[in-house]
Amino acid sequence: QWFRHPETNEAWTNYTLCAFSTNEKAKLKSVYILFYMAIVGHALSIASLLISLTIFFSFRSLSCQRITLHKNLFCSYVLNSALTIISLVAVVNNPEVVSKNPVGCKVLHFFHMYMLGCNYFWMLCEGIYLHTLIVVAVFAEEQHLHWYYLLGWGFPLIPASIHAVARKKYFDDNCWMSVETHLLYAVHGPIVAALLVNLFFLLNIIRVLVTKLRDTHQAESNMYMKAVRATLILVPLLGIQFVIFPWRPENRLAGEVYEYIMHILMHYQGLLVATIFCFFNGEVQAALKRQWTQYKTQWGQRRKDHCSMRSTSYTATSISEVPTFMYHHDCNSEHLNGRHAEDSERVALKSGETYA
Amino acid sequence: MGSQTGAALHKHTLLWFIVAMKCVSALGCGPHYEYAIEEFCLAKFRLDMQELDQRQWCSWEDTVEIYGDLTNCTYLVALKMECFWPNRLVDEFFIRVHKRYFHDCSLSGRLLRDPPNHILGPFIVVPILVTLLMTALVVWRSKRSEGIM
Repeated sequence: QWFRHPETNEAWTNYTLCAFSTNEKAKLKSVYILFYMAIVGHALSIASLLISLTIFFSFRSLSCQRITLHKNLFCSYVLNSALTIISLVAVVNNPEVVSKNPVGCKVLHFFHMYMLGCNYFWMLCEGIYLHTLIVVAVFAEEQHLHWYYLLGWGFPLIPASIHAVARKKYFDDNCWMSVETHLLYAVHGPIVAALLVNLFFLLNIIRVLVTKLRDTHQAESNMYMKAVRATLILVPLLGIQFVIFPWRPENRLAGEVYEYIMHILMHYQGLLVATIFCFFNGEVQAALKRQWTQYKTQWGQRRKDHCSMRSTSYTATSISEVPTFMYHHDCNSEHLNGRHAEDSERVALKSGETYA
Repeated sequence: MGSQTGAALHKHTLLWFIVAMKCVSALGCGPHYEYAIEEFCLAKFRLDMQELDQRQWCSWEDTVEIYGDLTNCTYLVALKMECFWPNRLVDEFFIRVHKRYFHDCSLSGRLLRDPPNHILGPFIVVPILVTLLMTALVVWRSKRSEGIM
């Protein structure tokens, strides 16, 4: 017996509950907030990363192999953020493009997956470099970076291509926008594997440093520990989004909080990387301070030149008194290899033992 | 072109028919409604589907407009006959349409699904293994370039 409409007594089903509910408007608003948050996050990331890159490129004194790896990492983050902004604005916000389904948006998605892989594989390169430096061979020559470039720029093409092929054959939705498919794990799986390997290497480094702390070379362990600290903070932060991703809570409020946290973790990564690797770097801060004092004394000199000529001798001596030795956090190990060592620590290390 | 004039003709006949039906009975939601949608909506649908190749019947992109027209047509007839829409007769009508035209479409034809596990598995496991191999290769090569093995 079918349900009957209360008034006309016809056979009828009440579909009004499926209609647009008041909850929808709030949900739509929160989706838009998250969208703009993502764009702001990536824009801030690009800005901070470009500032960091200018710092790294303009201060020649900073450059060493580790900083080269940082530069490549920052480049990949900039490209990733740029591609994300383009795809968010041009594809996600644009249902006409999605329904027309041009090939371009799938190509964009492929490059997006490639850049995402590049980010995490460059982090892995940083970890492998530190591991090779500290655990495997401390006193050797500078490493050849070719294999790192291959792993960081070349290898991510493979998971991205596999994902593209699988998506085209088995889940060819419009613009490949859907996240409901397990084929995404073809890209996310290798990324998680890279993060786990990275974490393993970093923990191994910590183990080596801590066990060697009992020996006489406590100072060097301290130095290396500071170099490793930044990477060790970043790897879990980058990885945690993959751990909590499957656990979306059912509760509405907790679900919203989850969404906001996930968005911050995913879209503000570039800013985080730039801050931890560049702005919080002691060496960079020292270099910037020196540059600032140089500018101040130069301006002072110009003003004094306007006023009188006797102060030129003062300013000359003050410039030469700016400290010439730098406490290298990151690049110390390279300077140990065949360069002149004036520090007592370096002298001690040269005469001392090897690690691992 | 022919279908457009045919559609216009259909519309006129429909309106005249509805007016006539309203004079005959106040309640148009019984067999009269069923007759109306079969006569007008289904006829057009049949013509449109015949124009398509039979192999394209299961393709959503090719049939979505025709299907949408059919749905709209049943809605308009219901409006004109002052029936509530959707109703049981429309449901049964569509079940018949599906039985006739879409009975042999695959389940994944209109809904995207993941491939079965024996295909999905390799697509996930192979990149992970290649990643681990490549990492091991890079670690080994950087060790070798140090001269320490």
